[in-house]
Amino acid sequence: MDFIGVLAVDAVAFGRTVTGLITRPYETYRRIIKHGKAGELVFVAAAMVLYFSLASLVKIASFRPFLLTQQFALLFWAATSGVLLSVGCIYVASKLLRVKTAFVTILLAWSYTLIPTILWFLTTSLLYLILPPPRTTSVLGVMFSLLFLIFSATLLWWKVTLCYLTLRFSLKLDLVKSVVVALLCAPVLAWWTIYMYRWGVFKVPFL
Amino acid sequence: MSDTTYQKFVKRWEEVTDIPPQTLGPLTGVYKQITKRLKVMPWPWFVAASIGFVLALYVLVGSTITILTSLLQGGF
Repeated sequence: MDFIGVLAVDAVAFGRTVTGLITRPYETYRRIIKHGKAGELVFVAAAMVLYFSLASLVKIASFRPFLLTQQFALLFWAATSGVLLSVGCIYVASKLLRVKTAFVTILLAWSYTLIPTILWFLTTSLLYLILPPPRTTSVLGVMFSLLFLIFSATLLWWKVTLCYLTLRFSLKLDLVKSVVVALLCAPVLAWWTIYMYRWGVFKVPFL
Repeated sequence: MSDTTYQKFVKRWEEVTDIPPQTLGPLTGVYKQITKRLKVMPWPWFVAASIGFVLALYVLVGSTITILTSLLQGGF
């Protein structure tokens, strides 16, 4: 099969997986771990590139190619460092718990947890353009706030579920051990979050 | 049982038994009840939990909730 053919197959697999994450997350994660291919990561990366291109435009707010490229590169590498750090932490924690797993398996499973993250950041950027903050305490302001927070919390529950399924299927852990892995990873990710905030890259962590 | 059905059953059985069943002592029943609802189309539960959470937050902090929204909106 030529390159385009392989890409098309991976695109279909990616589409099926994303649909599955919405309707049947449990079964879909089982399939990702058993039959997922590294080629699908290209499409997660493409979604990130799409979002960071838009975010760079919104943040720079002018068409200046050097600044836009600089902002894009900063966001992309910062996000990539976050993903690699998360996966690395889970991998090290799995070794501490003496669980046999491959780095690529965790990377593939974790990459799909970025779908809710990308969706939230993309929607927030668009809303920033349409209805820029700050929100007022008027009835409309409060109503918008309630809807926005409900939307954010819904995506957060989805994200938490996908993170748990990543640990459950890629490491074959039970709930207690999954919590232990999360607790082991939390300080490292908190450190990353604080530095990203201090450097002005992400105020809300892109994890 | 035909060979094809049996092969499908074996394949499915191997998939299901690939990870050990979850046990949480006396909380196992509660865990199963919650996860049962999250395995297929979990959105109604996600939205319901979010509405409950946000309304509780609104009751607690009132219109100060708009500050949180402003922070999150500028947080991308």
